Formats: sequence, structure tokens, C-alpha cells
Amino acid sequence: MLRKTFQGGVHPADGKEFARNVPYRTYLPKGDLVFPLNQHIGKPARPVVQKGDLVLAGQLLAEADGFVSANIVSSCSGKVKALENRKTVAGLSVPCIVVENDSSYTLADGVGAETDAANLTGQEILDKIKAAGIIGLGGAGFPTHVKLAPKNPQEIEYVIANGAECEPYITCDDQLMRTKGSEIVEGLKIMLRLFPNAEGVILIEENKPEAIKAMEQACVGQERVRVQAVQTKYPQGGERSIISVVAGKHLKLGMLPADAGCVVDNVATVHAIYRAVCKSEPVMERGFTVSGDGVKSPCNLMVRIGTSFSEVLLEAGGIPEGVKAKKLLCGGPMMGIALASLDVPICKNNNALTVLCTDPVEEAQKAQTACLRCGRCNQVCPLGLTPQMMAVAAEKKNYERYEKKLYGLECIACGSCTYICPAKRPLMQLFKQAKAEIMAAKRK
Amino acid sequence: MMNELYNVSSSPHVRNRLTTGKAMYQVILSLMPATIFGIYRFGTGAFLVIAASVLSAVLTEYLFDRITKRPGTVGDGSAVVTGLLLALCLPAYEPLYVPCLGSIFAILFVKCFFGGLGHNFMNPALAGRCFLLISFSGVVADFSLDGMSSATPLEALASGQPVDVMDAFLGVGNGVIGCSILALCIGGIYLLAVRAITYEIPLATLVSFSVFLALFGGRGLDLEFIVLHLVSGGIVMGALFMATDPVTSPVTPKGQLIFGCLIGILSGIFRVYGSAPDSASYAIIIANMAVPLIDEISVPVPFGLRKPREGKRGIPKSAIILCVITLIAGAALSSVYEMTEEQIAVQKAEAKAASYREVCPDAAEFSYDEEINGAIEALEGEVYGTDFGKAYINEVAVGVDAGGVPVGYVISATSGDGFEGNVTLSVCILTDGTVNGIAFTELNETAGMGMLCAEEAFKGQFAGVNVERFTLNKAGDSTADNEIDSVSGASTSSGAVVNAVNAALDFFGKYIK
Repeated sequence: MLRKTFQGGVHPADGKEFARNVPYRTYLPKGDLVFPLNQHIGKPARPVVQKGDLVLAGQLLAEADGFVSANIVSSCSGKVKALENRKTVAGLSVPCIVVENDSSYTLADGVGAETDAANLTGQEILDKIKAAGIIGLGGAGFPTHVKLAPKNPQEIEYVIANGAECEPYITCDDQLMRTKGSEIVEGLKIMLRLFPNAEGVILIEENKPEAIKAMEQACVGQERVRVQAVQTKYPQGGERSIISVVAGKHLKLGMLPADAGCVVDNVATVHAIYRAVCKSEPVMERGFTVSGDGVKSPCNLMVRIGTSFSEVLLEAGGIPEGVKAKKLLCGGPMMGIALASLDVPICKNNNALTVLCTDPVEEAQKAQTACLRCGRCNQVCPLGLTPQMMAVAAEKKNYERYEKKLYGLECIACGSCTYICPAKRPLMQLFKQAKAEIMAAKRK
Repeated sequence: MMNELYNVSSSPHVRNRLTTGKAMYQVILSLMPATIFGIYRFGTGAFLVIAASVLSAVLTEYLFDRITKRPGTVGDGSAVVTGLLLALCLPAYEPLYVPCLGSIFAILFVKCFFGGLGHNFMNPALAGRCFLLISFSGVVADFSLDGMSSATPLEALASGQPVDVMDAFLGVGNGVIGCSILALCIGGIYLLAVRAITYEIPLATLVSFSVFLALFGGRGLDLEFIVLHLVSGGIVMGALFMATDPVTSPVTPKGQLIFGCLIGILSGIFRVYGSAPDSASYAIIIANMAVPLIDEISVPVPFGLRKPREGKRGIPKSAIILCVITLIAGAALSSVYEMTEEQIAVQKAEAKAASYREVCPDAAEFSYDEEINGAIEALEGEVYGTDFGKAYINEVAVGVDAGGVPVGYVISATSGDGFEGNVTLSVCILTDGTVNGIAFTELNETAGMGMLCAEEAFKGQFAGVNVERFTLNKAGDSTADNEIDSVSGASTSSGAVVNAVNAALDFFGKYIK
């Protein structure tokens, strides 16, 4: 009997109806493309082009600098306009490479060359993945070639393609699974080449029946690959939630998924692996959902990395007339980042733009009361933490207690506690601040 | 489009619909079955008590907010919950200032003074109830209906009278407004269904209470006895609505289990060894005060993170701490008891001798008659006779004058039918059968009510009367010699006295005369 879910979690309204049945269309940007050098976790990439250079689509712009880092390739052809600081999603100014788009999208040599993965060794596969600049496309942005090279590949039991897509509003993975099912399975099989004793699992929430069906069909006749449908519950797509459901194991403090015998990658990442290995296509585009009640025609787009959010919103029809958008989110409403401006580029790990006409946070601030100690936050925490106590410790800036007694740094910032809180306490904000201050003190 | 200002905030950007106000509304809704049943059962009196309690709770909070210039918090509904809970724990008929005072105390002293909702360290409604129990015990513990006083199931249980479990479960017996266990359970199930409360606290409370009664209740695994205790005395009300008050209960499931067990065991101790019928109220209030400690020892180790175990798996620290606390408290109580026991025995003997001289002042000294002692021994400490309730004959002393001639017989008799347990008295019956007087050696009745039995106005009614038995006149308008006017509002206590005297008279008639 397959496990269906993990402990804790919440059921926010999923908002998937806006875009779930809109098939992908490719959007080619008209304006300049901006490539931040720190799209991934780890050290920022080192530029290998200079201002004025002519680049082709798929050409390397910046190379991985150090062990945990990733390549960045150009997603269009044109001239390098500038290497300068630009604002990104998080609101910070970071070093970026700006490419003036010539709109011809001429491909660099070798991009698109078909390769039979069966003839490649494990190391060759990893090299191709590294060259393609693949990082965790689901949001984390961890360099994939590092993740796929654990110390003990024989001990990996499960290679999990994460198609849970538990974040409300976002439907790009759903559409990808519906339309590119066989390519995802091929990508998963390439990953299984690296892990001889592992089973491939495609994990999908039950609210995506079409995707489940498509993936099951793609798995027919394939060995070592299966689909596991799981209960629709947020944050089902979290790494720890997935591992507890698939492997029945709990990640301990400081453990990587590989230590629990698991490798978890988003289905979009798995698809990118297929394209990188079999088609020699680096990460130039990705699936992207534009959705929310403040978008005229919500849709799923195949967008170029580096495209401005504002262009993408226009492609989706913009904000309908007579509607006042209150909040623009990079990502979904649970973990997404509120944007102050749309004039920022889409990075490899950005999967959606959600435009909301109401701001529940604003309303929540008005309804805020003292903590009732009802314990609902403790019940929904997928890690079994005690947000109620953490919030008290964070408010008093008792960070010793926060970290040592309450394990506050384990928080994955899923926001379930804040969502459920009847007193509308800004728990997540307190935790983010506490974490930032603790980490800052540690660096000293 | 680009020039507009958008809201920026930390994630998550959506919130659940449930607010503090709605959470309170759920609790109010869950109390409706008990409220409606209470009004149906007890009529206008119940309605007035509820209205007075709720209104004064809301008004107190409103005025406090206004006077201290705080943002109004009445809208969150917590004052209504407190008022309603308090009212459901009170009898239906009482002066309306009683629920008002209880609500004001609960809101002002327990809630507002500690910082309002979320900051109070004990359940306001329960604190209000305990305040009333201490200050207005006679009124709050009087469950007379339509002028008829009869024991609540718990009192009946304590005095060994038969109790109908079904009556108590349905709430058709006597009790507080919210005495219908059925109605309370409906509300409790609703709260569990909407996840306003979790099962841990009610389950741990009721199970540990039952286990305690089975172990120490003196009746073993007597299911009827345990069920009777469960359906009476507010333990269900406490377990479902008072102990689960989120503000004053632990926040983790483990802590909630410990908390529930603490309440169950304390209620059991108070029920079995104590004299207060309100075992659950005091147990929860005490457990409330242990919540910060319980919270501290029940911080869960998060999902996946296991601290390395050193050596063998030991008993959880929390269990040890709680055991130690319990042991220390138990040892302290028993040593105090030991120390005082001897002293009490001496005092009792002196009190007895004094009462003998009081009721039989003509006697020069008291002696014992072997024949009479034999008759008492033959009773083997069993209940005396069938017409005197739970009456016992303790001893008979013969008062003799200077010449050794008997002038009267002092019979020490006990009735177990008192409001708060035993009533023991000494009756002097002269040789011709005339009652010379009575004096109490053990009377623990309600102050200002049952205790009035010791006043001359009541006990003097027995003196100088020569009848075979007395009858109690509850209306207090007696004309005949053998009628005894009940102390107003304390017919249970008065009845116990009459029973004891009648038993003594009967014993006198059968074995001494």
C-alpha cells in the first residue's frame, strides 16, 4: 500500500482553475534579456563574455565558479549590452549580464544535436547536465549536476520526479506532464542510469488526474519507473514531505535527501535533463504560468530565461481594465515573493507570475489579535516544529532558545502556520527575520 | 501599469478564513445545545442567569477597554464565551447579582488585568465559578428547583443513595444549567469535527479520571460507579469546554496529554478524598497553572530530527518531573495528616465529653452499661434501622447523679445524609423518654445554611419533647410538638439531624427503656 501523504499541512484554495487547461504556447521576448549571475544556490557564475560581444542562443555567458555553482547560457542571439547590477525578483541589485535581443534566436553550434543517451557514460551525462546549466527548476535552484553526484550512488533507492505542484495557481508542471510525459520518463531513465539500484517515482497530487493519466501511459512498458498519486495537500511538493511519502523516511537534521537514499528533482528539471542529454539543449526556456484574478487571460507559456516579468504579463493580456491589482507575486501565494516592480527578469527557478486583486495579508493585519495558543500552527507544521513557541522566542529575540530548543532554523518557510493562524499573526515574517539575524550573527 | 504601487509583504500571501472571532463563534455554537436544553429544563431562571452573566461579561470588557483606552476587543466574542460558560456552571435560580459578580471577576481580574485574550493564565469562566463557590457557596451550591431541595447526582452518590445514570446523562435531574451530558457531548463532538479542539485533552482527562476511580475509588472496576462519576459533577463540562480552552492549555499534543492526565488524576483525588463536589473546577484551575511547565517539557523533537540517544532508552524526563511533583505533594499532604491526626483525636474526645455535659447537665459522671454496649456491638457498625436514612448509633453513656442513679442516657448518633457528609450529635434522653437536648460533635455543613442547625433556634426544638419520633417540616410552619422546623434552605442538613435523633430515640425505645 503506497503512502498517500505526510503529517501536517494545509488545504488552501488552489486557484488552479485559471490556467490548468491552457496548453503551452511559446513566447519569444522582444526586449533585452537580463541574466542574473546568482540564479542558483551557491557561488555566482563567472562571466565569460564582455560588453559588446556577439552571442548566439545557447552560448555560454557565465560559467560555474566553484563546486556548487552553475553555468548560465544566453537564451537569445544578440549583443552583450552591459555587465551591470540590475534589480531582481528579491528586490536586490545583483550583477547581471544584459543581452540586446536581435530577435533572430540563432542557435549556437551543436545546440539541438540529437544524442543517444544509451551510449553515454555516467560522467558524460553529468558533464552534459553541468554544461546545460541545469538547476532545480522547481524553485530551490540547487545545481543539478551536484545533486546527481552523491557520495554513494549505489545506495540511492528512489529517484523522484516531483510533479506534486502543491503551490496554488501554478499549473506549468501539470501542463508539462500532460504534454511531455514520455520525455519526462526518458529524463528519469537517464537519471536512473546514474543510480543502478534506484526506482524511478513520479509523484503527482490527485488534483491533476490528466497528468497522472498521461504519466501512467508514458510509464507503460518501462522498467523501474512508476507513478505515485498522493493526496492534494500543501506542502506536498516539499522535499521532506516527498521523501516521507515515497521512502517512509524522515530527513534528520543536516541530512541531504541522498542520505535517506533519495534524489528529488522537479519534473521540469527532469525534462531539462532529457533536453540537455538527448538534444544538447541548455536551459534557455522554461514553463511559466501567468495566473490569478488580476490577469486577463491566464496561461502557461514557454518563456525564455531572462525575459522581463512585464513582457510576460502583457502576453497574458495584462491586467483587465477596471481592475486594481493589489499584489504581484513571483511564484504562488504560499511561498511566492511579492514584487515591487515587474521590471525584473525571469530566472531559471521562477515558475509563475500570480496577480491578485485582493491582498489577504492586508485584511489579516486588520483582524490580528493576540495569540490564542490554539496550537493549529503546531498541527499543520510539516516538520513537526512548534511555530507558536518559535514566534514567542522570535518576538523576544531569544534566538538561543529559537535555534537550540525549538529547532527554528529547520523551518522550510512553507507558510502553513501563517496560513492557518486564526489570530492572523505574521509568523513567517518573524521566522524569516529570526533566521536572517541568526545567520548574520553566525557569519561574524 | 508600471507606475502603480503594489503591496509587498512576506509570504504566504493567502490566509485561512478562520479568525479569532470565528473560532469563538464555533465555541458559542457548540454550547448552544446545552444552553437551549438548560433553558428548556429550568425555564426563565436559567435564561435570566445566562443573560446576566453574558451581558455583564461583555460590558465589563467593553468598559475596561474604554477606560484604559485600549482598542475594543469585545468583537472577538471571547467575553461572550466566558459569560456563557460561567452561566452554564451555575444553578438556574439564584439572585442575579451572583452571575454578574462572577462574570465581572472572571473578565476583569482574570482576563483583562493579565493583558486580555491570550494572556490570561487560568480559564476565566472557571476562575469566576471558583470565586463564586468560595464567596457564595450557599447560593451557588443550592440546586433547589420549585422550592424543592434535593440532592444533585453527585451528592446522592456521596451519601450512597441510588442515582439514575440515564437521568444524569440526559440532564433531567438536578444540577447546574448546563448539566445535560448529552447536550454537552453534542457540542464537544461538533468542536472536534470542526477541529476547534483536539481529542487529546478530553480523552486524557476522562480516561485518567476513570482509571483513577477504578484504582482508588474503593469500588474496583465497578462500571456503574465510574459512569456515575463521569456523568456527574461537571467532569464532562470541564474536559470538553474548560480544559480545552486554548489559551490556558498546552500547545503540543504531548503536553495536552500530560495536561489531561493531570486534570483527571487531580479530579479523582478531589472526588475520592476531598469533600468539595467541584473536583473538576479546582483540578483544571490547578492544571492551568502548570501549563507553562508542561509546555516547556513537551517541546516536540521535530519531524525527522532525533536527538542521539545516550545509552539505554530512559523514562521521559517529563514523566519523571511530574511523578516527583505528585510524590512530593502526596507526601506533604499525608505527613500533615499524620501530624494532625493525634491532635484531632484528643480534640474529638474532649468535644464529645463536653457535648455530654451540655446535653445532660444533671449528671455527676458518665458510665457505660454493658448490656447497652452489647446491643451496640450487635449492630456491627451497620446502618441502624430502615427508617432513618444512613444513621448509625456510636455509643451510649449513662449519666448518673452523685448517688449513682441514672438520670439520663446520652446517645451519640451519626447521620450520613448531611449535605457535606456526616452529621454526628449527642442526644440526651431522660429515663422517661423525654429528649433533654442535643449537641453536635461533627457538623461540616454549608456555612450560613446547614451550619444553622447548631443554633438554639433549631436544636432547641428537640428539648423537652417526649415523642417516639420527630418529623421534619420543610415549610417551617410546624404546630405539633413532634414537628421540627427545617432550617431555611438547608432541608438536607436538617433532615440528617432529625434522622440521627430519631435513630437514637428508636434505639432508646428498643434497648434501654
